[in-house]
Amino acid sequence: MNRNLLLIGLLAALASCEDGLKPPPNVEAGFGGTITFSSWPPRDSVKNLWLFASQPYPLDSVKIIQGLFSSPPSIFLYPAFDRSLPYSVDSVEYKFAPLPAGRYRYIGVIQQFNDVLSVRSFRVVGVYQNPSDTTQPGEVEFREFEFVPGINLHVNFRQPPPQPF
Amino acid sequence: MSIFVNHLPNHFKNMAPLLLLVLILAQTVAGQSPFGTISGRVVDLESGQPLSGANIVVRGTFRGTATDEEGGFKIANLPPGVYSVVVSMIGYEKATISGIRVDAAAEVQLDIKLKPTIIATEQIVITASRREQSLREVPVSVSTVTAQQLAERITITVDDALRYVPGVNLLQDQVNIRGSTGYSRGVGSRVLLLLDGIPYLTGDTGEISWETIPVHQIDRIEVVKGAGSALYGSSALGGVINIITKEAPEGKEIRFRLFSGLYDQPQFPEWRWSSKSRFNSGVIGMLGGKSGPLSYVTSVYRGVDESYRENDAYHRWGFYSKLKYDLSPTQSGGISVNYLDRTHGNFFWWKSLREATRPDDEQRNGNVTSRRGNLSLFYKEFVSDKFFYTIRGQYFGNFWRDDSAGRVNNVSTSHLFHAEVQATYEISPANILTLGASTNYDLVNSNLFELAGQRGGSPEGVGGAFYLQDEVSILNDLKVTAGVRLDLHKVSMLESATEATPRFGFTYDVSESATLRGSIGAGFRYPSIAEIFTETATSVAAVRPNLQLRAERSLSYELGGSQRLGEMHFDLSFFQTELKDLIEAGISQDSTGFFVQFDNVVRARIQGAEVGIGANWFDRLLSTDVGYTYIWARDLQKEAPLKFRPRHMFYASASVQWEAFRSSCDYRFISRIETIDENLSAFVTHADARVPIHVTDLRFSYLLAGFGLPLQLGMNVKNLFNYHYVELVGNLAPVRTFFVSLDGSL
Repeated sequence: MNRNLLLIGLLAALASCEDGLKPPPNVEAGFGGTITFSSWPPRDSVKNLWLFASQPYPLDSVKIIQGLFSSPPSIFLYPAFDRSLPYSVDSVEYKFAPLPAGRYRYIGVIQQFNDVLSVRSFRVVGVYQNPSDTTQPGEVEFREFEFVPGINLHVNFRQPPPQPF
Repeated sequence: MSIFVNHLPNHFKNMAPLLLLVLILAQTVAGQSPFGTISGRVVDLESGQPLSGANIVVRGTFRGTATDEEGGFKIANLPPGVYSVVVSMIGYEKATISGIRVDAAAEVQLDIKLKPTIIATEQIVITASRREQSLREVPVSVSTVTAQQLAERITITVDDALRYVPGVNLLQDQVNIRGSTGYSRGVGSRVLLLLDGIPYLTGDTGEISWETIPVHQIDRIEVVKGAGSALYGSSALGGVINIITKEAPEGKEIRFRLFSGLYDQPQFPEWRWSSKSRFNSGVIGMLGGKSGPLSYVTSVYRGVDESYRENDAYHRWGFYSKLKYDLSPTQSGGISVNYLDRTHGNFFWWKSLREATRPDDEQRNGNVTSRRGNLSLFYKEFVSDKFFYTIRGQYFGNFWRDDSAGRVNNVSTSHLFHAEVQATYEISPANILTLGASTNYDLVNSNLFELAGQRGGSPEGVGGAFYLQDEVSILNDLKVTAGVRLDLHKVSMLESATEATPRFGFTYDVSESATLRGSIGAGFRYPSIAEIFTETATSVAAVRPNLQLRAERSLSYELGGSQRLGEMHFDLSFFQTELKDLIEAGISQDSTGFFVQFDNVVRARIQGAEVGIGANWFDRLLSTDVGYTYIWARDLQKEAPLKFRPRHMFYASASVQWEAFRSSCDYRFISRIETIDENLSAFVTHADARVPIHVTDLRFSYLLAGFGLPLQLGMNVKNLFNYHYVELVGNLAPVRTFFVSLDGSL
């Protein structure tokens, strides 16, 4: 029993030497690039404007709600829900991080055009396109502590892409 | 007397009968006491050594004392009669000496020999059946933490001490017994906390306020694992923790404790936010004693914790006082007052794992002020040595306010009143009946928890309960316990709710050294006022009240046994808990948008096993304890692990005592929490960062009595290997801390 006791103590000491939490590398997982805009609508029809990144695609209104608020979420907004991309600018550079590592199949810009918080108050106004097939959304995949630059989008408010819902 | 008469001068001899009468009368009036005395000596049965500090209580009365350094004791002023005396001491079997006849002016001498035993089996506990009983007689698993353990570990708040109890883990300040609780965002506790047997949860959020409990006045903590609602009602879903405060010392005593801890730097430069040394220090002063029938104890506490994290400093003032007055040998009453004034920074979660010791920007200028206190009254009377009753009442007031950059965000005040009467009747030595009734009322004034649709409306709750329990010894070795509790509860304008919670248990003494136990018990928890009425808006979504919220329910089963083998003690138990209608915060949407609301959603099952081994070695020079708990907790609806539950918990401790020197070491391991509430990722950066917990603490203490000083010096290193982990999402646990303490008495 004395040997067992010694063994338990030794195991405890060794276990305590196991790595605990540590700061991640100074790279936040995510992606970034530039969004260019054209044909801005009147100010009062742009209540909010976000960049979104969705893991699931295609989407419908139920999937969007689940994606934003399910556990875990699979759709993310940039900037935060209570903030907006700037209005009436030619372009904006963005860094969408930190994001959970994974594959994002649908990335775009969404506009909220009135105060009512319902699916009918939103529309997609720009989508990151597949560089080899611009008729399809482009995918972005990254691991933890990996940042993917050069994800550029163009938003033409007069020519929105097909809506996902 | 004849010799005396024969020596009298002749002229006095005729007066002898008269003189004799006068002398007898004089002796009766001036010398002979109408009361008797029990005195004696208590020694170790095996070594014959006197035992100092053994408790001697005259059964059915409040009369009692503790043995002195020579093992001697004396209980005077006992009315003539026949008494039973109960002698107990930790580490020895309890002894009862019955049929002691005490006559007026007579002194009965007792020579008592106590049999040494393993500590755990013969501890006396009160919580499992609402009456004092040996741990062997208890049909459920119970763990205890003693005052000595609290002092040695330099325990600042009670939750610190519970981290070393097998089967218990904490998610910051939310306690979890055998996986029952999880984490419910600080609202509602699924473990009931009692202070001297009275429920001690806040009136608004129904949570435990650990800091208001005066640690330095705790005699012991009892942790009952498994549902306890059949005796204690709401919130005892996953277990009961009873804090039992100390009685006043026999003689006048002034005690003090000084402690100071220095936080080490975290291992990684990214987390070193301050170049200044950070301390956690405190001072406690206590005055206690007895003066005739009055006993008293009063203490004042001041603590400042600068913290290892930014904007997380604590400033605390505490006051505690307990007065007890013995109206007669069989009647006693008392009052206790407890008050805490606290200010601390607002650190909900870290900015990110890269800046784990800094709070999120929104919390950086925030702080919380709280004032909490309670006033308790009790009266206890032994009607006979077989029947006694207790009447208790308590007021528990809570005020808190959180500010951010000078702006008041939320304010809440709650008033909670509780009263109960309990009677215990020994129908026969083999049949003990306990019954009682209680009532409570709480009122909440808060901008967060207003009555739905009524601006400024104050929610209030009222409840009443009746409980009954019978313990019957069938044969000599089998003891059966059965009980039931009926609760009625009503909150403001909502419909009233009733609960009937039964309980059944048994203990069977297989041999003198082995006991089997089993129990089935129901549990429930009424939703707190916060869960029903919280109404506020955050940057992400609104929080809405839910007036349809129902009570959570549980049914717990346990089968276990204990065995002594010489200086070793084994305990093994298997347990299962079925949980229904668990309350969780969920996110929903309607035509107006998204909202958070508490709702009854989860059906779950928790199964597991727990084993504990305690042993003494080398003539008790070394003592060791290990405990392992396996928990398999599943959400039956999602067929997934329950959130915030670990699978494995392991504890080990060893202590060495040699004359005035004592050293001990604790190690605890908690496996990585399998799943958390992923919605927290929306608020907390790197919410998923978590690892298994490995924490080792090391302590030394030295009694300076050998140098003629009534002092004890202590050194304590908490988190010896500076292991970095989280208990709760986004909250780095304390780094290595070096404590020194000085205890003294006058």
